[in-house]
Amino acid sequence: MAEKSPPKAAFAASGIELKSFYTESDIPTEHRARMNVAPGDAPYQRGFHPAGYRSKPWRIFQLSGFGKPEDENERIKFLLKNGETGFIMEHDRNTADHCYNVDHPDVVARREDVGLTGAVMQSVRDTAICMDGLPIDTSFGHAGGAVVQHAPFALAAYWTVAKQRGFDLAKISGTGQSDFNLTYLGCVTKEQIPTQAGLRFNADIIEFCDQYLPRWVPVSIAGYNAADTGLTPDQELGVLFANAVEYLDEIKRRGNVDLRGAAKACGGVSFRASIQIIEEACKMRAARLMWSDLLRQRYDITDPKIANLRIHCVTAGSKMTYQQPLNNIVRGTLMALGAVFGGVQSLGVSGYDEALSIPSEHAHQMSVRIQQIIQEETGISHVTDPLGGSYYIETLTAQLAEKAWQFFEEIQAQGGYLAALDSGWLHSKASDNQYKEFMDTESGEQKIIGVNCFQDDESPFHVDGFMGTDDAFDVATSRLQDVLRTRHEAAAATALKKLEADCKGETNIMPAMMQAMDAEVTLGEIGNVFRQVFGNWNTPIQT
Amino acid sequence: MSQAQKRILMAKTGLDGHWRGPTIVARALRDAGFEVIMIGMASTDDILSAAVDEDVDLVGLNIGGHIDVAKRAIALVQSTRPDLPIFAGGTIPPHAAKDLEALGVEVYPPGSQLSDIVDAAERLTGRK
Repeated sequence: MAEKSPPKAAFAASGIELKSFYTESDIPTEHRARMNVAPGDAPYQRGFHPAGYRSKPWRIFQLSGFGKPEDENERIKFLLKNGETGFIMEHDRNTADHCYNVDHPDVVARREDVGLTGAVMQSVRDTAICMDGLPIDTSFGHAGGAVVQHAPFALAAYWTVAKQRGFDLAKISGTGQSDFNLTYLGCVTKEQIPTQAGLRFNADIIEFCDQYLPRWVPVSIAGYNAADTGLTPDQELGVLFANAVEYLDEIKRRGNVDLRGAAKACGGVSFRASIQIIEEACKMRAARLMWSDLLRQRYDITDPKIANLRIHCVTAGSKMTYQQPLNNIVRGTLMALGAVFGGVQSLGVSGYDEALSIPSEHAHQMSVRIQQIIQEETGISHVTDPLGGSYYIETLTAQLAEKAWQFFEEIQAQGGYLAALDSGWLHSKASDNQYKEFMDTESGEQKIIGVNCFQDDESPFHVDGFMGTDDAFDVATSRLQDVLRTRHEAAAATALKKLEADCKGETNIMPAMMQAMDAEVTLGEIGNVFRQVFGNWNTPIQT
Repeated sequence: MSQAQKRILMAKTGLDGHWRGPTIVARALRDAGFEVIMIGMASTDDILSAAVDEDVDLVGLNIGGHIDVAKRAIALVQSTRPDLPIFAGGTIPPHAAKDLEALGVEVYPPGSQLSDIVDAAERLTGRK
């Protein structure tokens, strides 16, 4: 009889070599001593609450937005009607990310792009249209403002509309994200305030929320944006906590608010849920473990309400294929399962047309349905941390945390997270991983169904990419002119002067931003102040 | 006599900052011996002037947004340098890919193999 060849080596996406099975002795000793706790107990790897999803189902939370503010409003209402339980307001990337009005020459030159990835909101009037009738008092709302220099505008506009509609800011909940991994790593814009100024903005937002919006998540660090740029799961964890300590150390240095409040504020994060779903479930468990250890060891914080990390997850957009797009319904389902096994509190599933365009209405509906089927039909919600205690799960959780701390230390050795962004060190790590990932696909080492194998596509279901509306630019242009013509000019000028003075000094910029919204100051005017005061980030990569 | 190194201009037509696609392609092209000039987010005029000034043999466009923006850049390049080949990549839905192909632009959507893109560059620049 021929001898069997030894099994081929297998690796998790983090590079950890996997055994073909695990036993109790594989679990690292120090982890074994900590793993037998109930969900809701430190170090929290088992989840946020003993009753898990029975106490609170995860939030169904989908990225949404295109066209005019009323188009975006209509889509959000469609998602809510279909069972979404929070809502996200996307802003047009061209204008928002750069803090340009729609009449900026770089935008005018790309007029057809306007509205393709979110609605144009360049004054509080636009934001009011987008928010019309949305349940901002009862739902967790994402105001947009994922890009750091745009967050003060997106937040101030959202809060101003909430006030206009009679809501108490102290009672509303939501986020604006203001994410460094998106802004300085994953999606590098043409113009952006430098990282130090960005750190100051985020500290200002954290302190403002600490005072006026205690239920708001002022900044939400997105491991997602680092991971979908190329960082591996362990690196995603390491970079997220390296980012968090920059915020917390800065808040501590400024000394304006209780660090515990700031730690709670920074504990609402997001991760990517990718396709190696067992590893991804372990990543969520490792994240909670790491956050609890970090707060205890570095800041002496152990309060369960603070040390229990809150996780939003989005399935990996880059794993969705252009070829045979219906297969992405399966990929979305699997990645969502990984996140749910990891015990996340909030989830967005990428549209099956992700690689072609922004989601069509049908793709969006499917993303919600996938989550509802898992939530309501599978019974997975009944038992918290269903994978906990498995030799493999516990071993990989501990290994991921260990490897992630190593990456965290590597970043510290670069001078910290901001320095690692400024120098391009993180970009080259991501780039190297991307290239390897592509080469593995190229060689067939990593099979992708419909892409490098089983390419025949005879599906009768035609998916052709959703292109939104074609009047976003024209409507935004005429609305901008309306605002500039009909607002109280003296009040706008005063508000802009106040903003400029506060930017130049050390006063928190958010009160001036709120005043600017009341005076109907526009996005581009605010961007001009930021550019003039802070200058432009010296981008370490050629994009 | 050795052939001069072929030069490829890479540009983004939109203001969207996602960089992983074009940088991977640029890396593969450099590894294959091409000189790649990346100008990032660029206006139609900038794309044309860089193509002329750098005397490139091929233009690569990353299209993250609406193809009408890319079509203006393509028209300008083709009116000035009708012989200069253009290829494109990015989130280009099938109907838009057909429109670009009708203009003589080769389209490499997500999922394209790097080796196919390199082969196309060799063919389009006459290196092969």
